[in-house]
Amino acid sequence: MTDYGHDLLFGAFITPAARPPTHAVELAVAAERAGLDLVTFQDHPYQPAFLDTWTLLSYVAARTERVRLSGNVINLPLRHPAVLARAAASLDLLSGGRFELGLGAGGFWDAIEAMGGRRLTPGQSVEALGEAIGIIRELWDTEKRGGARFDGEYYSLKGAKRGPAPAHGIGIWVGAYGPRMLRLTGRMADGWVPSLPYLSGGPANLAEMNRRIDEGAASAGRDPSAVRRLLNISGQFQPSRGSLLVGPPRQWAEELAEISLEHGVSGFILMADDAAPIELFASEVAPATRELVAAGRAR
Amino acid sequence: MGYGHRLEFGITIPPVLPEGAAAFARRAEELGYDVVTFRDAPGRSLDAWTLASWVAGRTDRVRVGAHVPCATPAVLARAAASLDLLSGGRLELGLGAGEEAAALGEAIDIIRGLLDAGERGPLRFEGEHYRVRGARRGPAPERYVPVHVEAHDPPMLRLAGRKADGWVATLGRIKAGGIRAANGLLDETAREAGRDPREIRRLLNISGRFSGERGGFLDGPPGAWVEDLLPLVIEEGVGTLVLATDGAEGMERFAREVVPALREAAGRELAGAPSGPAVRPAWVRARRQPGIDYGRIPASLGENAVEPGDPAYARVRSTYLRGGAPGLVLRAGSPEQVAEALAFARSHPEVPLGIRSGGHGISGRSTNRGGIVIDLSKMDGIEVLDEASRRVRLGPGARWMDVAAALAPYGWGLSSGDYGGVGVGGLATAGGIGWLARKRGLTIDRLRAVEMVLADGSVVRAGGEENPDLFWAVRGAGANFGIVTSFEFEAYEVGEVGWGQFLVDASDTAGLLRRWGAAVEVAPRDLTSFIILGAQRPGRPAVAQVFAVVDSDRPEVVAGQLEPVARAAPVYDQSAVITPYASVMANAQGSYHEARGEPVARSGLIRHITPRFAAAAEMLLRSGAAYFFQIRSVGGAVSDVAPEATAYAGRSANFHVAAFGASPERLDAAWDAMRTHFEGTYLSFETDRRPERLREAFPPGVLERLRELKGRYDPENVFRDNFNIPPAERRQG
Ligand SMILES: Cc1cc2nc3c(=O)[nH]c(=O)nc-3n(C[C@H](O)[C@H](O)[C@H](O)COP(=O)(O)OP(=O)(O)OC[C@H]3O[C@@H](n4cnc5c(N)ncnc54)[C@H](O)[C@@H]3O)c2cc1C
Repeated sequence: MTDYGHDLLFGAFITPAARPPTHAVELAVAAERAGLDLVTFQDHPYQPAFLDTWTLLSYVAARTERVRLSGNVINLPLRHPAVLARAAASLDLLSGGRFELGLGAGGFWDAIEAMGGRRLTPGQSVEALGEAIGIIRELWDTEKRGGARFDGEYYSLKGAKRGPAPAHGIGIWVGAYGPRMLRLTGRMADGWVPSLPYLSGGPANLAEMNRRIDEGAASAGRDPSAVRRLLNISGQFQPSRGSLLVGPPRQWAEELAEISLEHGVSGFILMADDAAPIELFASEVAPATRELVAAGRAR
Repeated sequence: MGYGHRLEFGITIPPVLPEGAAAFARRAEELGYDVVTFRDAPGRSLDAWTLASWVAGRTDRVRVGAHVPCATPAVLARAAASLDLLSGGRLELGLGAGEEAAALGEAIDIIRGLLDAGERGPLRFEGEHYRVRGARRGPAPERYVPVHVEAHDPPMLRLAGRKADGWVATLGRIKAGGIRAANGLLDETAREAGRDPREIRRLLNISGRFSGERGGFLDGPPGAWVEDLLPLVIEEGVGTLVLATDGAEGMERFAREVVPALREAAGRELAGAPSGPAVRPAWVRARRQPGIDYGRIPASLGENAVEPGDPAYARVRSTYLRGGAPGLVLRAGSPEQVAEALAFARSHPEVPLGIRSGGHGISGRSTNRGGIVIDLSKMDGIEVLDEASRRVRLGPGARWMDVAAALAPYGWGLSSGDYGGVGVGGLATAGGIGWLARKRGLTIDRLRAVEMVLADGSVVRAGGEENPDLFWAVRGAGANFGIVTSFEFEAYEVGEVGWGQFLVDASDTAGLLRRWGAAVEVAPRDLTSFIILGAQRPGRPAVAQVFAVVDSDRPEVVAGQLEPVARAAPVYDQSAVITPYASVMANAQGSYHEARGEPVARSGLIRHITPRFAAAAEMLLRSGAAYFFQIRSVGGAVSDVAPEATAYAGRSANFHVAAFGASPERLDAAWDAMRTHFEGTYLSFETDRRPERLREAFPPGVLERLRELKGRYDPENVFRDNFNIPPAERRQG
């Protein structure tokens, strides 16, 4: 059993489709009403079929009251970390502390370059992400005196004004798969959000990946529990039992509880573009999973 | 000195109070301000874009002006389109603070290029400061997003003159006396760039103090403010005054005591002017089509007219199945506006004219190249006129899925077709073969009256009593006679229905069609069924989809009636549910059409699926010439109506057959072998324009009467976009 000691979170991963523009907003509101803890949107600024994720997050924050929001994950190569820091803090302040910052190093370099972004190798993009996290934390730190300075390979700050400070400790959650990114996550991040459909070996892959994060954390003198483990999942509800996450809500709950107890995952984010599965996930799967995990942790 | 813009008022929201920002903006909205603006300031203040997006989510009407830095123009363009879409067209994009003119000019070109989603092909831009290498355009914003440029020095002013939709200056950084010179520079550079200076709105940020006695400029009682501001509006052409204030009190007093007096004093012309640009930007005008007199578009239609360079063009150029590039789309909101649009179109007899409701025309060419389209999608009302007689009034622009949803709470329905996205206007003027056809007849069989605009611009009613000839013609050939602006129907009771979907083996195609046809013909009228096949691919199992609605909510009745139809061939997959009629119809997405090319479709009405016909159909499908082949059941109640009762005359048929192909030649080669079996055509599914088709759609007596009526109501053949009936020659003497 692995337990990093976080309460369970249940969320939705909603496509930020531009047409019709209200669809994503309505689903986010439905997710809140259904009782989910978290609403997230992917961020692909080169994709014109999608709304701009930052704008959508800000708009949805204004349309909701309670649910937490995050990019899943924000595309760093097309968004400058200094701008992100201020925007994230602003959104956190406006929403009363409901914002978390999911961040990714980027991957579709042709499209990024077409938009005017800088092409990086995978290795460089990991380093750039590390610098970005440093800059963001620096700008959020308004306790420190004087302008923020940072002299990196990819970004620099020359005495930038600090602030605003966010309303709560915004979690920086990283979408990571490769060994370097996982170590970086362990060293610097507050959370980790991989997607289950991308794991070729299924949930079993999580063990090895967790180990890399834990090592990264240890190397920076951090406790592994400093990094919350979340997981984007997809599946299908049906009356009869089927393969992993294809079946009735009870089956889902058992499988998610097992993943949680086995690998310490404490956040499940459902990829869904209809209200019906989101509602089932919130009303049936989430409470049952919580119970099973609580029972399992107590043992 | 004025630029013809409506005088507007704005408020700058200080970016410091997270809790207060939305409340402040909402209060500004209540007070009637036209726009709230946000500007980026470094340090502890909130990020302006985030704040503007947040405020857009908490307000409904007020426009949102976001003044932001431009780090990556392509990303900002997508963000701008997104905020405009989410806010329902309320964004004004402000740029320029702290930027360099040359770089900003490039950024504006990139932003405009990406917002121009009507333009096909990716954007390429190689500048000194920015590069974009093949970024896809879009999303299309809700409206034209005006770009306002803040400028206080000559290079920036020149840039604004060349490229901006609005010039923003802050009083203090510019002296009141300096506005004239700045305007001069703007106007001059605008003209040099081939623009009209009226394209540029002049916005001025102001601040001041309300006090008992005049202390100085904008320092004193409201009357003094009016005295100070009036010359700026009247003489310097300032179109928008934006007040910067920290306190709610200043905002209240300005709105209550300064704005009304200024409006009054500034006079009527300014109050009545449009809030958008007084003239379309030069780069939009550059795309205008020769042959259309854009300068004479009636004022009432101006704000809703869409031209090729407009951002809304992407949403209106094409229809569901047909790519188009019209020169002008006039979106009418009332019968009067329809008549005005029609008069405008008639003054352009040389260019094509299309009439569009739901944009699902196949025979109906509701888009075109270089011509005019009158779009009725805004006239989408659904209204119950009388509960006792179940009378309802539908606007032409309503979609049938919305009609079904609106009637459901009354327990009523109207059979229309199988697709919820289809519009009322095109379908209810042609026929309407829908899910309850065998039980309830065609859609037009429940039509009781219409209101329509005739070619001469008159608005008339037609029904059983009034203009009965016209009413006869409208029910089957309506598109030839005018523009229907409202339809009155008598609905009937429909609650939950049985809805069956079956995927069946079609390897014995002819046998399947025969058995399905035979089962449908003997089924009770509760049942209406459609069957769909696609082109058969070598190596893949041939399959067909069978759909059926049974107008009953009793499971045993539904199951009993579905079973014989489904048994026409081995079933691979099936589902049968009892569900509201409205949910059967709720099968279209709410977005716009962007088809390319031309549909090729053929239609025929047939009495029975005979073995010879079934064999010919199998040949057609084997040939690969049809990628979509559908047979719908009619008969039943459709055949209860006498053939002479409506212009739709194919009353004897039990089935309607339609095929879509890629090439007219290939499709005809196979289809012609089937022609001998048909007894007429349903015009809606026929794209062939040869005269023979007209004789198939209408039997001789009907066609003669239609031509005679066409000669009476539309002698100059204005309405010719859908299965055109040539008017009869006027007899001499
Ligand atoms: C996916 C799909 C499914 C369909 N299913 C069915 C079906 O099940 N049963 C059926 O009967 N038909 C069906 N149709 C055919 C459909 O009824 C016709 O194409 C109809 O013309 C579409 O109406 P519209 O208002 O959406 O189209 P539009 O493209 O807006 O109009 C088509 C034509 O109708 C005329 N017209 C439009 N509005 C008016 C008006 N207010 N006054 C006078 N003339 C007007 C114009 O000549 C115009 O060119 C289907 C079409 C499609 C694309």
